[in-house]
Amino acid sequence: MTISAERPTEVAASSVSPPAQSGGTSWTQRPGWLSQHAGTAIILAILGYLLGHWMGNAISGNYDYIANSGQNAIADTFGLSFGVLGWLLGIGALNYPLAKLVGKEAAHEETVEGWSKYFRYSLDHKVVGLQYVVGVLLFMFTGGLLAMAIRTELLSPTTHVFSPDTYIKIVSEHGTIMMMMATSIIVGPLGNYLVPLMIGARRMAFPRIEAFSFWIFVAGYGVIFSALPYGGFPTGWTGYAPLQTQAGPGMVSYLLGFAVIGMGMMAAGFNIAVTIINYRAPGMTWSRVPIFVWSILATAALLTLATPVLFAGGLFGLLDKTAQTAFYVTEHGGSSYLWQNLFWFFGHPEVYIMALPGFGIVGEIMPVFTRKPLFAYKVAAAGMIGVALLSFFVWQHHLFQSGINPDMRPLFMLTTELISIPTGFIYLVGMGTLYKAKIRFEVPMLFCMALFFNFLIGGVTGVFLSDVPVNVTVHGGFFVLSHFHYTIMGGLLFAFMAGLYFWLPKMTGKMMNKKLGLVHFWTMFVFFNLTFFPMFVIGLLGQPRRVFTYAKNLQGLNDFSSMMAFCLGLSFLIFFANLMWSMFISPVKAPANPWESLGLEWQTASPIPAHNFERIPVILTDPYHYSEVGAPALADFGDGGLVSSNSTTGSSPA
Amino acid sequence: MTDMSNKSRSYSETPEEREFELRAQIGSTWSGGRLFIGMYTFLLASLAFSYFYLRSANNGLLWRPNGVTAPTSFGWAIYSLGVMTALLAIFGQVRLRKGSVIDWQVAGWTGVAGGLVALFLQIWQLTTLPFYPGSSGYASTFVGWAVINIGTLLFGTYWLETTLARSLRMRKEIGGPEPELSTNPSARLFRANVASMTYFWGFVALSSTLFLAMFYIL
Amino acid sequence: MSSENSMKNETNHLRKMTTIWVILSLAADLLFWFWVGPHVPPGTMTSTAKSNQFDFTFLVLFALPVLIGVWVYLGYAIVTWSAKRDNVPEPIGGEVARSNRKAQVSWITITSIVVLFLAGFGTVAVINDHGSGGGEGPNPIWNPGGASKAEAAALTSNASWSPNSNQVLPVQVIAQQWKFTYRYPTFGGFESSELILPVGTTVAFNVTSLDVIHSFWAYQLSVKADANPQVNDVAYTDTKQLGNFTVRCSELCGLWHGSMFNYGKVVSQSDFMNWAKTTESANAANTANLPPFAWTYVPDANGAAGGYYPDGTVTPYSTVEVYGSKQPAS
Repeated sequence: MTISAERPTEVAASSVSPPAQSGGTSWTQRPGWLSQHAGTAIILAILGYLLGHWMGNAISGNYDYIANSGQNAIADTFGLSFGVLGWLLGIGALNYPLAKLVGKEAAHEETVEGWSKYFRYSLDHKVVGLQYVVGVLLFMFTGGLLAMAIRTELLSPTTHVFSPDTYIKIVSEHGTIMMMMATSIIVGPLGNYLVPLMIGARRMAFPRIEAFSFWIFVAGYGVIFSALPYGGFPTGWTGYAPLQTQAGPGMVSYLLGFAVIGMGMMAAGFNIAVTIINYRAPGMTWSRVPIFVWSILATAALLTLATPVLFAGGLFGLLDKTAQTAFYVTEHGGSSYLWQNLFWFFGHPEVYIMALPGFGIVGEIMPVFTRKPLFAYKVAAAGMIGVALLSFFVWQHHLFQSGINPDMRPLFMLTTELISIPTGFIYLVGMGTLYKAKIRFEVPMLFCMALFFNFLIGGVTGVFLSDVPVNVTVHGGFFVLSHFHYTIMGGLLFAFMAGLYFWLPKMTGKMMNKKLGLVHFWTMFVFFNLTFFPMFVIGLLGQPRRVFTYAKNLQGLNDFSSMMAFCLGLSFLIFFANLMWSMFISPVKAPANPWESLGLEWQTASPIPAHNFERIPVILTDPYHYSEVGAPALADFGDGGLVSSNSTTGSSPA
Repeated sequence: MTDMSNKSRSYSETPEEREFELRAQIGSTWSGGRLFIGMYTFLLASLAFSYFYLRSANNGLLWRPNGVTAPTSFGWAIYSLGVMTALLAIFGQVRLRKGSVIDWQVAGWTGVAGGLVALFLQIWQLTTLPFYPGSSGYASTFVGWAVINIGTLLFGTYWLETTLARSLRMRKEIGGPEPELSTNPSARLFRANVASMTYFWGFVALSSTLFLAMFYIL
Repeated sequence: MSSENSMKNETNHLRKMTTIWVILSLAADLLFWFWVGPHVPPGTMTSTAKSNQFDFTFLVLFALPVLIGVWVYLGYAIVTWSAKRDNVPEPIGGEVARSNRKAQVSWITITSIVVLFLAGFGTVAVINDHGSGGGEGPNPIWNPGGASKAEAAALTSNASWSPNSNQVLPVQVIAQQWKFTYRYPTFGGFESSELILPVGTTVAFNVTSLDVIHSFWAYQLSVKADANPQVNDVAYTDTKQLGNFTVRCSELCGLWHGSMFNYGKVVSQSDFMNWAKTTESANAANTANLPPFAWTYVPDANGAAGGYYPDGTVTPYSTVEVYGSKQPAS
């Protein structure tokens, strides 16, 4: 497809707009209660669950092994699946797929105005983005509370606050919820909201698939959380068989939850990847695409291609639980290694699903606060693609001690260490951008700098883990636990916070409070490091993961880590308070471009029009011409005014 | 796949913009169809990996005791119907391109019938298996394949049916003798959708050949 | 600002940073090597512990300069180029600031060299050290001399080990929810709940599980091997010093994973011989009830996955021993 970079001639709009559809708004989108929204979704989800559970019992309740066990995985699976189906039906996700069966094209769906649109199946990517913000924060705070519970238990090497049963439930639920949150935390809110704005598009390629990805993400939260009333699952987030096979009905929630959220991840990645490929505005060549979009594209590709493996793994696990197949049962011709392979074949690309968007955010934000162009743009983009490709070839480093393929260990050690080369590019980019800059230490910039600090520790310890001899000591202990908290929390979560502080003014029109923001940043940064750095030492001194009993000499370190973890929890409360204060209690109207960014997303009107741009912009150059004398205009917005950046402050003239 | 949710817009659009949006939509249908096949490849590859992994591990000598095989007649019937549907879809699209809408529709509806029968047979086959699902590695992977195949056939037939239903309704909306071949935006999008759908069916035919060999021949 | 001036300025910044970096890195590396290095876990109790300790320290020698390099740079940037300082010049945009061929090429070259070197170093270490104490699966490819002979003999009834013979000692580790037990095939296959090892001996741990996946982690020995049901996961080490060590399960195995640990001892070869002989005869009655020594065992129907089909018939086990099948009725 060739795109003309010529500014289209404007034609009187009225003469070309098609006739309005007859019949007006369909009932599903009417304002008020008589339509489809989260309320109907909840009702149908409950009804679906009851129906499915009854059906499951009816078809399988008379099998001996079910009647005698007091639990029925088939009924649980049916119940939860029908619950998800009812949820989708209630929210309106299935309206269009069903209408297509009789050949109807989508009815014109007016976006309902007012706050109630956030509780509906909205086709506006800006609404979905904000829905995702709330969704991932819900995940995050749930997982965070569970983390506090874990640290409470670990205050003492022997005394138990929780029974071992409760403790293992908490650990497993914490891991699973956090991992599923982390896969979506940037792609969901910021990816969906910003990608069309950054590429100059008026819409997503598949807005219904996008909305589907959010609402099934919420359903997945429900399914994973349903493990607790079912008695939890004892396997941690990795769900290793045969413990998985042995576990009770909570395991069904875990397996189905992964499958359900996996569908959401595939849908989100699919839509975003296709949008970036096809909806870039005229003139937005691949070398002008903002680095954040590059990172989201790489992430979307990983989401689309790696998640089906998790889906298949979860499906096989569910079949083991319900149809009594033996995929993971070694005694019956299956293999417990099969789960480990499938899980980590997905699991390692997933790690980069959780790292790449963070790199994109710092790459996008740093030029704004250094007033310099992004250094080595092409290297950054190449690094992201390199990481995405290599991430499919490293999964067996999770299995270095498992006893499989010892002859492959040097190979996987090599590929794992190779991946630190493209990962290192982001440091080249960051440090080059800082060079001889004039750095404004606003809150988003501080979070970016913190990412470089934290991720460095996470990345360097990753090299230790990939070294097979050292891995013998650190595998399965607190060292690896600390390592991935440094990369995911210290990297991704800090980047997410940077992104929120940076883009919320554009997304909501309200500034985040700077003073509270600074308090939040410093408490989070300091207590994060004080919580997790001791865990490297704890791990080296021999404490395995997921234990409630540990050696007595480690109590001092564990107690210190726990205290700091509670302070870290408090810092999240400060963030929450800041969010409430700045968004609802005492909002301050944000200027149109508070950080003086050159990014395309800041150049459209505030608040953003329903279709993003009055005219589809024609992109003339990349958005990094900071501090450049005689810099070309960024884009032609078709309204007579060209955005340029030839002043030293880089602010955009009207 | 692609929708026309914004037929009437609350904002103005120049003809160039309209054409740009339409091309982006057609491009999305094209690249979306290919990306979906990539996604599906990874799903099927997981199953194939499981098959070969368990086969080579042969734990407890229980990969495939006594060479048990799922009912072969069912297998060949389901396979033939799937391939037939795919060939019909491809043939139909070739005819559609040449301007023969009626050929495409007859081929398409026959394909839908074929897909539904294959789906029915695949479900029926599960009730006639000569082994327990958990009795061997082969049995497990076979049940996994059957479940995934049910999903594939269901989705493929759904996609084929929706294009056919769409083409019927287009006659009401656009009018004219052969609206599927017009330059109307709906028709252009429609043809892109048919092309992606046909491509997917071709992929289904290829992959089911592989799995036929794995489960019934090898 | 003339270009000459800016060049000078540039070299000044880099020279300052490099000086700080070299000094700090050298100091940190030296401090670590001499002060922390000898205490780095897992100590020097076995050959694998010793070389894994060396590997860890060696990696730190690379890691510290990397960490310090980035930190020095960040710190320098924060101090020197903060907009809050009065005399910070306006940054210069444009092509100069967008890329620098020299910087990019040298960055990529240096990281590649370091990474490839470390991968090579790790490979040499893992091969030379017979798997570095990690589980190598049922058919280890990097085995110490005499290991395969001893392992093959273990399955026959005439396997033996005697002090000062330089023989490899095979020991079987059986993990189950939630304890470790150990079988000594060279002493009639008796089973013990304590792990006693002779000093100065190459030990081949044969790790297996009766139910779910566990991981046998003998911390001070620097041995870690996952215990998988139906799999014999072999790990080697060479005991060098007398002392006690801890064994923990390091793979989540269910409810009481946290309390799945016990202690072991490395004793002199003659003490070991005495202990083994005494225990062998004391346990003879129990040993008779155990299944014959084998690399893996199938649990009874109460195991993790169960041994039954849904219709109640038993899985047709053929090649493996059913663990506990010969237990006397209680």
